[in-house]
Amino acid sequence: MTTDQKTFIEDHSRRDALRVMAASAATGIFAANLLGQPAHAQTRPAAPKGRVVVGVTQEPTVFNPLMPHLEVDDGVAFSVFDALFRIDPKGVIVPNLAAEVPNQANGGISADGLKWRVRLRNNVRWHDGTPFTAEDVKFTLELIVNPKFRAWRTTGHSLVRDITVVSPTEITWRMEQPFAPYLSYLTETFIVPKHILGAAANPNEAPFNQAPVGTGAFKWGKRVAGDHVELVANPSYHGEGPYIERLVFKYIPDMTVMYTQFRSGDIDVAGQAFITPDHYKEASGLPDRAVTLVPAGSVESIYLNLEKPQFRDRAVREALYMAIDRQAILEALYHGVPRPTETFMPPQSFYYKPDLPKQEFSLARAAKLLDQAGWKPGPDGIRVKDGVRLSFNNSTTSGNSLREQAQQFIQQTFAQIGVEMKILNHPAAVMWGDFWTKSQYDSAMVGITYLLASDPDVTLRFHTRAIVAKGGRGSNNAQYSNPEIDELLDKGTRTFDPQARREIYHRVQEIIRKDLPFLPLFTSNNVYGRKARIQGFVPNTNTRSEAWHAAGWKWA
Amino acid sequence: MVEFLLKRFMQSIVLLVIVSVIGFVILNLIPGGPMAQYALDAGMTQDDKNRILAQLGLDRPLWVQYLDWAWRLLQGDWGTSFRDSNPVTSVIARHVPATLLLMGTATVIAVSIGTVIGIRGATHRHSAFDYLATVGAMVALSIPTFWFGLVGIYVFSLKLGWVPAGNMYTIGEGSVLNHLHHLIMPSVVLALVHIAIWSRFMRTATLDAMGQEFVKTARAKGVSERRVVMKHVVGNALLPMITLAGVQLPSLLTGALVTETVFTWPGMGRLFLDSLSNSDYPVVMGLLMFSAILTIVGNLVADVVVAMVDPRIRLA
Amino acid sequence: MTTLTAAWAPEPAWWRNRVVRRFLGHPLAVAGLAMITLLSLACAFGPHLLPYDSLQIDLRSRFAPPLTGDHYLGADPLGRDLAARLLMAGRISLLVGFFSMLLATLAGTLVGVIAGYMGGWINSVLMRTVDGFLSFPTLFLLLALAVALKPSPTMITVIIALTSWMTVARIVATEVASLKEREFVLAGRMLGLSRTHIMFREILPNVMGPIIVAATLTVARAILLEAYISFLGFGIQPPLPSWGNMLNGAQQYLDRAPWLAIIPGLAIAMAVTSFNFIGDGLRDALDVRGDHK
Repeated sequence: MTTDQKTFIEDHSRRDALRVMAASAATGIFAANLLGQPAHAQTRPAAPKGRVVVGVTQEPTVFNPLMPHLEVDDGVAFSVFDALFRIDPKGVIVPNLAAEVPNQANGGISADGLKWRVRLRNNVRWHDGTPFTAEDVKFTLELIVNPKFRAWRTTGHSLVRDITVVSPTEITWRMEQPFAPYLSYLTETFIVPKHILGAAANPNEAPFNQAPVGTGAFKWGKRVAGDHVELVANPSYHGEGPYIERLVFKYIPDMTVMYTQFRSGDIDVAGQAFITPDHYKEASGLPDRAVTLVPAGSVESIYLNLEKPQFRDRAVREALYMAIDRQAILEALYHGVPRPTETFMPPQSFYYKPDLPKQEFSLARAAKLLDQAGWKPGPDGIRVKDGVRLSFNNSTTSGNSLREQAQQFIQQTFAQIGVEMKILNHPAAVMWGDFWTKSQYDSAMVGITYLLASDPDVTLRFHTRAIVAKGGRGSNNAQYSNPEIDELLDKGTRTFDPQARREIYHRVQEIIRKDLPFLPLFTSNNVYGRKARIQGFVPNTNTRSEAWHAAGWKWA
Repeated sequence: MVEFLLKRFMQSIVLLVIVSVIGFVILNLIPGGPMAQYALDAGMTQDDKNRILAQLGLDRPLWVQYLDWAWRLLQGDWGTSFRDSNPVTSVIARHVPATLLLMGTATVIAVSIGTVIGIRGATHRHSAFDYLATVGAMVALSIPTFWFGLVGIYVFSLKLGWVPAGNMYTIGEGSVLNHLHHLIMPSVVLALVHIAIWSRFMRTATLDAMGQEFVKTARAKGVSERRVVMKHVVGNALLPMITLAGVQLPSLLTGALVTETVFTWPGMGRLFLDSLSNSDYPVVMGLLMFSAILTIVGNLVADVVVAMVDPRIRLA
Repeated sequence: MTTLTAAWAPEPAWWRNRVVRRFLGHPLAVAGLAMITLLSLACAFGPHLLPYDSLQIDLRSRFAPPLTGDHYLGADPLGRDLAARLLMAGRISLLVGFFSMLLATLAGTLVGVIAGYMGGWINSVLMRTVDGFLSFPTLFLLLALAVALKPSPTMITVIIALTSWMTVARIVATEVASLKEREFVLAGRMLGLSRTHIMFREILPNVMGPIIVAATLTVARAILLEAYISFLGFGIQPPLPSWGNMLNGAQQYLDRAPWLAIIPGLAIAMAVTSFNFIGDGLRDALDVRGDHK
């Protein structure tokens, strides 16, 4: 790009630049607006005031956003740090620390998908006053793939080569292979300061990890271990807000206790893991509270281990699916909060296929299906075929009483068609250890978020080379293998045009619905609760935290 | 005496080693390491997790890990938490005050109320009070602490709204009064069992003392019953009280664990459960060693006192 | 050849036995015995007599309060009859308590007798091992073990026994150590009786008193411990019911259906209190504590 063009873009407002690029921009996903507010024309907010307390049921303990962490830690990360881009509630990727979103139309991504160029903002400062530059971006991306660093996710980052700092506001790199999901991953990759973390002897144990310094709307305040984390407003934030002075994440390990505190007003926002379905009705009726159902990205299902002899037969899987009284479970046990689904793709995703065949509950037809497939009831009433009894375990995390109730209910229904499902639950650490990752379970009841950063790529879940039990790398715990799916998934990561990708992933959903490697139960809706006087609270299921934009919250 | 103390000290060291080995073995039997909580995180591949496990040194043979840990422990390095990368010592240190506050308050309540009830029961032996106190104590000893907690929350928090249902203090209100408000129920619940123990103990101690010669003498001299009891009984009971306190230490810790769970108290017990669920081995080991040290010291004190009092028991 | 003959007069009818009479003179102990007998009978036979099966899920009767229709104690979140579940859970909790007591008492007695009689370095080693186990606060040890090993009822029984044998061992060792110097033991030694014979045929019967008392109190403690770890989620796993895990599931429904928490708690209290009363009564009847009263 010539200097003239660079100056042109920097000197004019964002809207003008948009008009120039919009003419040739691809339709759909990629846009260059900054949440509707041009950065230069941003109004300096009046002094931030007030405090918001967010209750969470797991303790935020990891404050370096590049190290392995949970969703609750992301709540803090979103407030203290910024990533290059952001995903808005509609799934549109918008620039954050970057000045624009690179794509093949504006030359930010080369035609072969291999060369990337990102332009950055020039008015961002770290919380300690040092200016943010492309050096920080380079440092971050290199740290992630540093073999000595305990990085959280390296997928995508490991494909990056030759990172070059062209200027303090421009950075380029080359990818080893075209990888469309990378843009989405970058919305979850928070940038860390080179001048602090780079100077630390061991980034894994640097003091930075206890007192992070970012570019975000809130600065690090303090942490009372086992109790809460407090953040304070950053008055020189480059984006919108913040309007509140203090943001507190309070750890309340028990969901019922959290709900009690929400009801009594001790907390202002009921965060991760939100309000339980059985309190939804009561919560909706509380005065001065705003309670909404927000779709989450996770799908609850009975996950099958397809290498077990009982599940190899597709007829068995179909019959089992027909023998689940989903309606009763959703209405009675879950109080109608979640929605039934037929696929792993969340319904609010751009790539969701709406007209998949619907499940029907019919014990008679299920029994007939099994009969026809050769599974006849044995002497003890349990069906047998070729010496294999239709008996298996179903496992989940112990202590999740709603799931346990669902398990027991399904167990009873299955028994009516001669299927024996035994319940074998484990504490979380056991359940999700080798038992799960190395596919040692029979069947499991899980809630899985299939999409990473709302990118539709599910290679890690369904590709044959992602089966760990067979020596692969990934999370294909069901050991599902279908060559047609493999081909489609590979194609999907190499295609950058959203419309073309959509067709690919529609086909993927069709095939998976037919193959039923898992029996979908529902797509979860989270019960968000907050005090009614809090404005600017926008749910965004494309991000991992309800506090993704705490910068916009304010008290009425 | 000195020789005895020295011998016991050496034995304590041996004890600690045994304790550490047992603890280490148990912990490594636990399936699902520190990466288990990320199992459902599709973004982390098994490679990522293996790499991190190697970086944490968890892919080395067990005895190597143990020796490494023990060697560092001797140098004062208790390891680093897997979860928040803080030194284990500071992680534990941050949670100790909360537990100490709970345990301390509970002990004060238990000793004071228990002593009063016990002495009264002894001096008014076979009265209705004594009978009720005995039965009450037995019942209190038989009911799970957490059940008291749950019922207490239901009655006093949910229904009556007199006290908050959990946490150490309300965010933003760090006043002493607020702290006390939050402290009442958990400490009372924790104290209940110990009130029972102390009351029975004091009853027995008082009865013992009342049968002694010097008490009869004092009575004969005309000293008031009350003074007799207070001065001689309590004075004599002091040593056994210390014994009891020493022996009660581990059960206080245990009780605190459960109480902290029910009342969302950010103490060591809570830390133990969280660390256990997340396979944060260094912290769990640290807590195990810490509580074992406390227990060993408590037992040592108790044994020394017992030996001083009863020379019949040969010091093995 | 019998040892001390003086104290052992020909046995009278059992109900006139001195120990039994003294025990029966304790109203609390008798009450405890009655309660635990009733409870055991109820758990053993009750489920067959109740109208509902403990596993029957009926979503229409969810959270029924006590005395709704035939649900005498109400129903749980899945509509299962609470009374039936309570009694089934009682079987497990009581059995776990009983068998862990058996294991703990056997192990503890063995170690205690050997340590107390042999003295010297054997005593040191054994007692230090006892101390080693005692150095772990019970619950910490219990939880760690429960997470390391599979939480089946058998495993839970073993684990609870592993944390209870030490108290028995200590008591027995102390008693044996003080009995060691008594005349009948010296007499036995002079007669050339083997050590094993002396330990288990002469001394042990005289320690039975404290052992029985300790055993009774161990059952009480075991039932309590099972409740604790199941409540924390590490003990008996659903769908197998136990009093402890019924309480675990009840905490979140406290404001809506408090009887779900109150009733299992009462059951635990009844069982444990009974055993404690019995143990106390036995302690007095067997005159274990000595000559204070």
